[in-house]
Amino acid sequence: MNETHSLLEPFPQKEPIPASKQEGEAAEPVRIFRWRTLLQLDVASADWDILVLSTCLKLLLFPAYRSTDFEVHRNWLAITHSLPISRWYYDTTSEWTLDYPPFFAYFEKLLSIPAYFIDSKIVDLQNLNYDAWSVVVYQRITVIVTELVLAIVLQRFIREAADPSVQRIISVSLFLHPGLLIVDHIHFQYNGFMFGILLWSILMARNGNKLASGFLFAILLNFKHIYMYLAPAYFVYLLRSFCLSPTGALQPTKFLSLANAVIIVFLASLGPFILMGQLPQLLSRLFPFTRGLNHAYWAPNAWALVTAADRVLLKVAQRFGIEVLAINEAGVASTSRGLVGDTVFAVIPNVKPIHTFIITIVFQAIFLTKLWRLPSYKSFVTALTLCGYTSFMFGWHVHEKAILLVLVPLSLLAAENNAFFRTFMIASVAGIFSLFPLLFTPAETLVKIVYSILWALLVFEPLQRKVYEFPTSLPFVIIDVLEKVYLAGFVVLQIFVTLFPLFTQRSAVSTTYADTVNKTVHCGTDGASPCGVVGADVTSGSASGLEFLPLMLTSIYCAVGLVWAFIRLSVLYLKQSEDGIWT
Amino acid sequence: MDELNTAFSAEGSTARRRTHARNRSFVSQNSSQSVTQHTRPRLKTPSLRHRTSTPDSLRSTFSQSDIISPIPRRHHHLQAHESRLWLDTPPLSPTSTRAGSPGSTRGVTPLSLRPRHTLSFSSIAEHDPSRSHHVAHDKKSEDSMARRWVRWMHKHGIKNYVIPAAVLGAALIKWCIGLGSYSGQGTPPMYGDYEAQRHWMELTLHLPVKQWYSYDLEYWGLDYPPLTAYVSWLCGVIGNWINPAWVALDKSRGIESPESKAFMRTTVLAFDTLVYIPAIVLFTRVWQESRSTRTQHVALLTLLFQPALLLIDFGHFQYNSVMLGFTLLALNFFASGQDLLGAVCFSLGLGFKQMALYYAPAIGSYLVAKCIYLGPQKGRSLFIRLALVTILTFLLLFLPFLPPLAPLSAILDPIARIFPFARGLFEDKVANFWCASNVVFKWKVWLSRPQLVKMSAILTAVGFFPGVVTLLYGGWKHRMLSEADDKSRAKDSPSSSTPEPLLPLLPYALLNSSMSFFLFSFQVHEKTILVPLLPLTFLLSGSSSGSETFELGVLVNNVAVFSMWPLLKRDGLAIPYIATLVLWNRLVGYNPLRLNSQSFLRYLSLAIYTAMVSLHILELLISPPARFPDLFPVLNVLISTPIFALTWLWSIKRGVEVSWALGGLGPSSTPAKSSQPALSTLRPMLAERKPTLDRLTVNGLDGVPEENFNLTLDKDFIPNARQLKTRSLGFARGAKVLQRTASAELPG
Repeated sequence: MNETHSLLEPFPQKEPIPASKQEGEAAEPVRIFRWRTLLQLDVASADWDILVLSTCLKLLLFPAYRSTDFEVHRNWLAITHSLPISRWYYDTTSEWTLDYPPFFAYFEKLLSIPAYFIDSKIVDLQNLNYDAWSVVVYQRITVIVTELVLAIVLQRFIREAADPSVQRIISVSLFLHPGLLIVDHIHFQYNGFMFGILLWSILMARNGNKLASGFLFAILLNFKHIYMYLAPAYFVYLLRSFCLSPTGALQPTKFLSLANAVIIVFLASLGPFILMGQLPQLLSRLFPFTRGLNHAYWAPNAWALVTAADRVLLKVAQRFGIEVLAINEAGVASTSRGLVGDTVFAVIPNVKPIHTFIITIVFQAIFLTKLWRLPSYKSFVTALTLCGYTSFMFGWHVHEKAILLVLVPLSLLAAENNAFFRTFMIASVAGIFSLFPLLFTPAETLVKIVYSILWALLVFEPLQRKVYEFPTSLPFVIIDVLEKVYLAGFVVLQIFVTLFPLFTQRSAVSTTYADTVNKTVHCGTDGASPCGVVGADVTSGSASGLEFLPLMLTSIYCAVGLVWAFIRLSVLYLKQSEDGIWT
Repeated sequence: MDELNTAFSAEGSTARRRTHARNRSFVSQNSSQSVTQHTRPRLKTPSLRHRTSTPDSLRSTFSQSDIISPIPRRHHHLQAHESRLWLDTPPLSPTSTRAGSPGSTRGVTPLSLRPRHTLSFSSIAEHDPSRSHHVAHDKKSEDSMARRWVRWMHKHGIKNYVIPAAVLGAALIKWCIGLGSYSGQGTPPMYGDYEAQRHWMELTLHLPVKQWYSYDLEYWGLDYPPLTAYVSWLCGVIGNWINPAWVALDKSRGIESPESKAFMRTTVLAFDTLVYIPAIVLFTRVWQESRSTRTQHVALLTLLFQPALLLIDFGHFQYNSVMLGFTLLALNFFASGQDLLGAVCFSLGLGFKQMALYYAPAIGSYLVAKCIYLGPQKGRSLFIRLALVTILTFLLLFLPFLPPLAPLSAILDPIARIFPFARGLFEDKVANFWCASNVVFKWKVWLSRPQLVKMSAILTAVGFFPGVVTLLYGGWKHRMLSEADDKSRAKDSPSSSTPEPLLPLLPYALLNSSMSFFLFSFQVHEKTILVPLLPLTFLLSGSSSGSETFELGVLVNNVAVFSMWPLLKRDGLAIPYIATLVLWNRLVGYNPLRLNSQSFLRYLSLAIYTAMVSLHILELLISPPARFPDLFPVLNVLISTPIFALTWLWSIKRGVEVSWALGGLGPSSTPAKSSQPALSTLRPMLAERKPTLDRLTVNGLDGVPEENFNLTLDKDFIPNARQLKTRSLGFARGAKVLQRTASAELPG
C-alpha cells in the first residue's frame, strides 16, 4: 500500500505539476507540447554568457595537447568516408581500428562529408598521423558544435525545475565540467555530445516521458557501448514505472511500445551489419576481452586499493620474511612499475574477470532492488549513478575516464541536501583530480589545475551555502573533519606531483632534453591509453624506480575518496525512506 | 560670507568619517523607503535628474514634486574632495538591485554648496550633452556579462571570491592564449620577439654587465632599459636552475622545446601577476573608492580581459604589462597623494621599457602643476623631493653602468640602444600619422632622416601640448583660488599629502600625450598602441554603459586590436584574436551592431566595424595584387588611423571640458559671484535644522545638540519651510558644519 502511494505521487513537491497530475495517456498532449518547446529559443543572457565564455576558452584550447584519440577519430573519419560500410569494421590500415558502435560510425561518416570539402587529406585513409592546422581546427570545432546538444538539454533542465537558480548552477557546472574540458577539448573525445544524449534521456524521465527516455538511451548505447554500465538501472526503472502499473500488472501496450522503440533503434544501428553477417566481427571489435584488471594508470577504484595493498604486503613479506604469505614471483615484477599488461598480484589471490563481474552484479542488484521498490525520478537518478559507480569501482579494466559516467548523473543530485552535496563534492574533486594524469604536458598542467579550481570555487561555494548543515553528533563531526582533511590533501598531492619530476629531472641532468621531447608518445586504443605512464616517461627523462610514484599516489589517493563517496552514496540511497518523500 | 561656503573643506576628514556612518545609514533608510514607494519610475526622466544640478535652477529644486517624491541624492560627503567620482558616474548603480541608495545615485547637490576647488567630475558628466540620449534607456541594455556575473556572485554571498576568481580566470585565459604560437615561432634564423626576450636571459645570465648592451648586437642585442635586463637576468637564473639548456649561451638560440616555451610563458604570467594585477586591483580601489563594490569589480574585469594587452603579452610575447603596471601603480600613488612613491614607480616603468616616455609629458606636467598649486613654499619642497627621488631611482637603475662601477663612457651603450634614432620613421605598417599619410606623401623620399626626426619631434610636442597646458594652467588657477582663500582665511592651505583637484585631468592628459606620441613620433611599432590604450581603458572601466567614454573606449580598443591584425596574423594568433575580442566585448556588454542611440559615434562605429569585417573577408577571399603586396595592411592603417586621431582630439576636448568644470573660467569669476547664491540656499537649510534633528533623534541617532540651532534668519530666504522637509535628509552633517560656523559668525 505504501508502495503504491509512492508511485502515484513520487515527489509531489519537486515534480513539475503537469507531469505529476497527468499520469498515463493523459500525458500525451503535454509531451507533444514539450517536443515543440525544445526547438524554441528563449535563452537567458546569462546562458549566452556561459556559452560565449566557454566557447572562447575552447577556441583558445585549439593548439593544446591532443592525445592519440585525436588521430583515432581522424582515422575513423577516413575509414567511414573512403570505405564502403561493409569494410568499416574490418579495416586495419591504421592501428586505431573502429571500435565504437555503428551510430558513432554513422556520426563520423556525417562529419567526414564537410571534412572532405575543407581538406581532402583529412579523409585520406593512408594519410596517417595527419595533424595539419586544418584537421585540428575542424575536429576541435566538431566537438564544440556537437556539444551544443549538451548545452540545450542542460538549459531545458532549468525550465520547470523546482528551484531554477539551483538547477542553473548544476546545469552550468555540468556544461563547464572540468572532466569534459580535459577529456573532450584537450585530450579529444566526443563525450559532451553523448552525455548530452544521456541527460536528454534523463530529462525525459524527469518530465514523465519515459518512452522517449528509453528510446534516447537506446540511441546512446549505439553511440558508445560504455553506457552499458548504466543500462541495468534504465531497464529496472522503465520496466517498473512504465511497463508495469503501480499495482504490478503488466501494461502490454506500453511494454510493446517501449520494446519496439528499442528494437527499432538497434535495428537501425546494427541492421546493416546483421544483413551483411558481420555481427560477430563487430562485437569482437566492441568487446576485446584481452586486457588486464588494471589499466596502465590504475583507475582510482577498488582494485587500485587492492593492488596497492598487495604492494604493501609484498614489501612487508619481503622485509620480515613472513612465510605464511606465499609470494607469487610473477607478481613481484608485474605491477611494481605500473606498466601495461595483466596485473598479477604477489600476495593477494589473483582476480579473474568473472570475480569482478560477480561483485559488480551483486552490488548493482542491491541498488536495483531499491529502485524497484522506489521507482521515482530522483531514486532513478541515484540508482543510475550507483550503477555506473559500481561498474567503475569493481569493473574489469576500467579506464579513469569512465568516472564521468558517475560524476555527470551525480551532479544532478548535488543540491538535494547536505549529505548528497558532500558526496558530490568528494566524488567530483577526487574524480576530476584522477583525470589530471591524462594531461601531462607542462603547458596543459596549469590549464587543468586553474580551471578545476575555478570550477570548484564557483560550483561548490554557492551550493554549499544552500544546503549546509552543521554535523550534529560526534561521529559526524569526525567524518566532517576527516573529509575536510582529505580534500585539503589534494593540494599537497598536487604540489608533490608537480615538483617531483622537476627534482628527478634535475638530478637526471637535463642534457637529454632533446630526446625526451622527440620521444613519441604511444597510447593504447581509445578507452585504454597508457598515456599517463608514457607521459611520466617523457617528463622524467631518465628511468628510475620511482618515476611512477606520482601516478600511483594520485591513483590511490583518488581511489580512497571515490570509494568513500561510493559508500556514502550507497548508504544514503539504501537508507532513503520508501514513503515517497526524499529526505 | 565666504566662510559659509568654504566651511565644508575646513572640516577635518576624520570628523566626517565619524559622522558619515550614522548619517548615511539614516539617509539610506529614509530615502530608499520613499524611493521604492514613489519615484522609481521617475528616476528615468532626465528632466528630473538634471533640473537640480545647476545653480540657476536652485529655486525649482524646492518644487512640489520633491515633497511628493524626493529624488535620492548622493550623500554630499561623497561629493567632497576626497572622493574621486569624476571618472564618470552611472545613472544608478547598474549592478545594484537595491532601490537607489544615496551612495549609488547621482550627485545633485547645488554646485555652489560644494567646496569650490573640489568640484567632482560626476557633476560635469551631467552636463555632457551626449549623455542625454542615454539616460532614459532601460536597465536591460546596460547589463553586461561582467555585471551579471558580479551580481550573481554577490547574491550568492561569495563576493569575497570575485577578485580571486576574476584574477584566476584571467590567468587561465592568458595561459590558454599562450598555448598558441608566439612571435617568430619556427622562423630561423632570426625568429622574433620571443627569441629576443629569451636571448636576453641567456645574455644577462652569462655575460658581465658591461657587455650586456654591446654583445652581438646583430642578433637581438639588448635594446630595453636596465630594469628589463635585470628581470631577464632573474628569469635566466631560474631557467638555468631548472634546465641549463634553455638559456645556454649562443647554443640555445632558437630553442623551441615545449618545456622552455612553458617556462617563458610562465615568466610573463608571473610578472604580470606581480605587477599589473595588483596595480589594477589597487586602481579600482583607489580611483573608484566611492563607487559600489560591484562597480569596482566590473571595472576590474574590464581591465583584466583587455584583449590588446592579452594578445600582445601572452600571444605575441612581450612584457608590456610590467611597464603598464608600474605606470598604473604610479597613478594610484598620485591619487592617494603619495607623489614620491608615484614618481619612483613611474621611473621604474621608464626603466623597464622606454615606451613609458609616452606618458612622461603628462606625468611630469602633472607633478609640476601640483607643485605650482601647492604654492611657493610647499611646492618648491615637493619639487625638490620629487627631483631627488627620480634622479636617485634612475641612478640606482643605471648603477652598474656608472662610475665607479664602470667608466663613464659605459653609459653610452645603453642610451644608444634604448633610443634608436638610427632606424626608420616607422617599421612595418603602423596606424599612425606618418604611415597613413605616406600613402599620398612619400615622406622618406622628400625629407632626410634628421629632418624627419625634427618634424616628428615638433609634431609630437604640438600633439601633447594641450594636455600639458591644461594641467599647468589648472595648477596655476587653483593656486590663485587658494591664495584668494588665504587672504580671507589664513588656515587651510593645501597640503601635499591630500590629492588635489588636478587629478581628474591626469587620465585625459595621459591619453593626449601617449596618443600624440603614437601618432606623430619617430619609430613607432603597432604594438605601442597599448600605451595609449591604458588610460583610455582606465577611463572606460569607470564609465557607464552607453556613455560617450564607454562607446569610444570600446571602439578604440577593438580598432586597436584590429590595427595589430597583420602582426597577429603573422604570429598565427587568428583564433585568439577572435576569441579574446568576442569575450571582452561580451564581458563589457558591448554589441557592435546595436544602434540604439542615434549618436554620431554609433554611426561611425558601425561604419568602422563594417570596414573591418569587409577587410577580413576580402583578405580571406582574394590575395593582394602583385603590384600592391601590402594592400591589406595599408587598408588596415587607413581604417584605424582616423579613429586614433579622433581619440587624440577627443582627449583634448575632454581635457578642456574637465579643466573648465573643475575650476570655472578663471580665478576672478568664482569666489565673489558664487558666494551669494550659496548663502541663499544655505539659509533655508539652516532653517530646516529642527525637523531634521527631530528625525535624527527619533531614529535613535544622536544628532547635534539642539541648542546650537537657534539661528535668526531672514524670512526672505526661507521659501517655504514645509516644502523643504524632505530635502534636509541628505544634509544632516553639512548643516552641522554650517551651524558651527554660523554660530560663530552670526550673532544669535
